[in-house]
Amino acid sequence: MIKLRRFLFIGGAFLLLLVKFTIDVISKNVELEVGGLTLIREATVAGAFLLVALTMFGSTKSREQTPMRRLGVLLVASYGMLFIGIAFNAIAIQGFDRKNLSLLPLDYPTLFLGSIVSVLFGVYSLLTLKFLKDLIFYQRRRGTQRNFVLLLGAMICAGGSVVMLRPLDSSVVTTIILALTVVFAIMNSFRLPWIVYLSKREKLIALVYGFLLFCAFTGMDVALAMDSNLRHSLLYYSYPLREWVQLSVLSGNIYFGMAFISTLFHLPTAEAFERKRSEVTSLHNLSRLITRVLDFKELTETVTSMTQQVCEAKSCWLELLTVEATSGSEIEHDPHQPVGIQTVARMNISMEEIEQLHGGQDSFLRREVLARRGPVVVDDIQRDKRFQHLKKVKGPVASIVVMPLISHSGLIGLLYATKGTAYGFLKDDIDVIAAFADQAAIALENSRLIHESIERERLIREMMLAQEMQRKLLPQTVPAHPSFEIDALSTPAFEVGGDYYDFVHLSEDRLGIVVGDVSGKGVPAAFYMSEVKGIFQSLSSLYASPRDLLIRANEILAGTVDRHSFVSLLFAVVELQTGKMTMARAGHCPLLFASDEAVEYIRPGGMGLGLSKEQVFSDSLEEHTMALRPGDVCVFYTDGVPEAMHENEEFGYERLLAVARDVRAGTAPEIKNAVLSSLHGFVRNTMNHDDITLVVLKWKGCERSPA
Amino acid sequence: MSDFRVALRQQDSINVLELKGYLDAHTAPKLEEALQGLLSTSRYNIVINCRDLSYISSAGLGVFMAFIEEVRKNNGDIKLTNMSPKVYNVFDLLGFPLLYEIFKEEHEAVTRFFDKGKATPITPR
Repeated sequence: MIKLRRFLFIGGAFLLLLVKFTIDVISKNVELEVGGLTLIREATVAGAFLLVALTMFGSTKSREQTPMRRLGVLLVASYGMLFIGIAFNAIAIQGFDRKNLSLLPLDYPTLFLGSIVSVLFGVYSLLTLKFLKDLIFYQRRRGTQRNFVLLLGAMICAGGSVVMLRPLDSSVVTTIILALTVVFAIMNSFRLPWIVYLSKREKLIALVYGFLLFCAFTGMDVALAMDSNLRHSLLYYSYPLREWVQLSVLSGNIYFGMAFISTLFHLPTAEAFERKRSEVTSLHNLSRLITRVLDFKELTETVTSMTQQVCEAKSCWLELLTVEATSGSEIEHDPHQPVGIQTVARMNISMEEIEQLHGGQDSFLRREVLARRGPVVVDDIQRDKRFQHLKKVKGPVASIVVMPLISHSGLIGLLYATKGTAYGFLKDDIDVIAAFADQAAIALENSRLIHESIERERLIREMMLAQEMQRKLLPQTVPAHPSFEIDALSTPAFEVGGDYYDFVHLSEDRLGIVVGDVSGKGVPAAFYMSEVKGIFQSLSSLYASPRDLLIRANEILAGTVDRHSFVSLLFAVVELQTGKMTMARAGHCPLLFASDEAVEYIRPGGMGLGLSKEQVFSDSLEEHTMALRPGDVCVFYTDGVPEAMHENEEFGYERLLAVARDVRAGTAPEIKNAVLSSLHGFVRNTMNHDDITLVVLKWKGCERSPA
Repeated sequence: MSDFRVALRQQDSINVLELKGYLDAHTAPKLEEALQGLLSTSRYNIVINCRDLSYISSAGLGVFMAFIEEVRKNNGDIKLTNMSPKVYNVFDLLGFPLLYEIFKEEHEAVTRFFDKGKATPITPR
């Protein structure tokens, strides 16, 4: 659509100019005295250039161009036109015949080439105005548009005022308008906002460009004013166009003259301005990074490199305190690093050089910053008494700034910047480093907190998974049989525990009950617990005797558990047909047995599994056999029950015995609940710090009388 | 909550560790550290005085297991003394008296290091 419009506009302009050229050719041969012919000629020219102007100013593409690029294009165009103008004057054409303040081309080349040059200058003047407008409008302020419109208006008026004049005529009105135009051009020439934002290097180039453009425009001013073929061609072609061209060249001349001077005055502050601008940009980038970068390493490196860039430091590095961040837990330190401080990022400096600057563990720099919690600036290291250790080695560092990184949780690190020259850091530099340190502290703290919360969440998820796995290792249901009742419960003190109970169906009429406790708590205990379950599930079918099974289990466990872990366990096998119970105890709490005769602990000899691989285990292990009678109660439990504590007092074996005595007539669930409520009543709201497991077996008697 | 302390005392070239308070999974590292300190300076004749030890958990017992092998390999021993009945019961249930020599009084353990015949440890139940 836009393309088509542009094509139509340019085509239209071309046609109009062709008409104008035809009129000129005819009027050269024939004395045409048509009234208003001048008006028609000027109308075609005005129409053609209006179309070109509309095409040119309508384009939005140029808005993305940088001021420097615009200057470059204009420079090339200007010298091109200057060359064309000079060349046109130099070639051998006959020129114009002056008659009555009018001009007539003497030959066709003069007419033809003069027309082309005039059109080119017309287009060039539009181009100049377009670029001027873009530069002036680089940053709009109040009056920017008004001033430019005034300039254009004055130029159009100047053109208008000469429409009916003969080419060599002049008028007072035109001169006044001309003067006005110059005033407006000067007003516009103060609009030079683009210079401020150029970098120092660009300003230098702009200075050269400005000067060259000023020269080109001056040259063109002269060329257009001189009594030459060029001036005559333009005058002949169209007096208004000539005025227009002259005024745009003059405007360009004034503007770029001003630009040159302005750039010259901007040069001394260019560096400072550039730095301020890069400080703002860097700080802005850094604050953006804070919200985006979660990668700790990337963050520290960015902070360091940005600091180095913005204060133009020779080198820069970042040290973080490792002790406070890890809340006192023991962490392996790199032996080359001072305890608690780690260099996490560095730019343009080696670890050796850093160490050299610090001069050992007890670095003056670190000490000073840690003590002051404020920046430390050393302007001249070579002359500073505190840097005695650097006297012998003349390093590349002459001045240094150390800035503490302080987050709400305290000092978290130190940011260093060095320069190769003494007194290299200005107050501005130090302020910027301080601003960076503040931002960096927030960013690092954020990153750390996010990492911690991610890690914590992951651990919680893992623990929940482990808990779920462990719950599945425990029996999901209790065995049911007419001859007994069983109820069981196991509550870990932490997410996962080391307590274990299981029921093993050895055959139709033999039931095995295992209650055990792995030393320690938490995840390692839970691992051993699952191993114990595996051992029991696989061995129970191989060994009829609980004692034999435990001896074998010890052999296996002693080989796998680590030195300071062991498993205590009570294993009982009940023959359902006869009520005969055989049990062995591997270091576990004794069985609580309640019958009509007595309520007592049964404690056959035996030591914990995994304590010793040697003979002493099997030698000490006893097997106990007893006959269960209806109403007998066996309570299997782990040490969490008697050792449950309240205000330095243990629940103890006596209390457990007393509860069993009181409630032994109840059902298995009743007995279990009675023990539990007694336990809870004792500890009250003290958190249990050990796993608690209870298995209650109530013997109801054999279904059939023994054969 | 749990408070536990270890004190080291030299008694005729025997190293006596006095334990005080609650020895459980949380406080066990303190005892480990103390024992490690003795072993790293090649002191293998160790007596653990449990007079003020009010509680010991399975993790606490594990500490002794972790070091006994190395101590005995170097012709030393860990002997335990002055246990309260409650603490002794925990040791006893697990069968520790079969693995360690446990004495009523500290001097008995010290004597035992010099003369095997003179003092006799408590026999397991």
